[in-house]
Amino acid sequence: MNLFRSEEHIARWLGSKTPGATIPAQTLCDLAHAWWDTRLAPDWRPRTRDENQSILERLGLAGPFWTLP
Amino acid sequence: MDASLLDLRNRTYAAFVELGRAPSAAELGDEDEVRAGWRQLHDAHALVLNPATDEIRMANPFSAVPSAYRVQADGRWWYANCAWDALGILAALAVDGRVESSCPDCGEPYAVEIRDRSVDRPDLLFHCLVPAAHWWDDIVFT
Repeated sequence: MNLFRSEEHIARWLGSKTPGATIPAQTLCDLAHAWWDTRLAPDWRPRTRDENQSILERLGLAGPFWTLP
Repeated sequence: MDASLLDLRNRTYAAFVELGRAPSAAELGDEDEVRAGWRQLHDAHALVLNPATDEIRMANPFSAVPSAYRVQADGRWWYANCAWDALGILAALAVDGRVESSCPDCGEPYAVEIRDRSVDRPDLLFHCLVPAAHWWDDIVFT
């Protein structure tokens, strides 16, 4: 889960590996805030699988690659 | 997750933030009891232990060991487990800050400033190699 300079750099880094998914840095920032913003809250509780999936979907991260087990 | 386990989890995270590093088991109470609780939290994906030492490896998004992602936030430098977690540290602490790393392909260093949940390097691209269904198969690799 890395940040790269461009698509070209991702492709070179991947080499023969199967590509995963690529999103812009701002989408990652939005995802990070949605995913982690309650991590230190005193009333923190584990999220369900469906709650996590909803966070991904709200940010447009849908499809087989983003489907949680 | 029962109340005592939740309490241990919360005390572990609070100590991590207060100390700026992962707490040892002895710093949180009876060492054997804490380690037993941590193993349950590890199995629940609430934190990640180093399998060789049973010490904390990740209290996601925080990394207990140096990594390629350094985060300046809340007056300290932190290590993150990955790019997602680097921005997650700022989210968890609810502060602005700065992420420093380098392109995994060419090694060119970069810094990203985050203000009010916005990045100043929207040109950078995040690549997630492992599908979501397999993130926890090997979370350190993921």
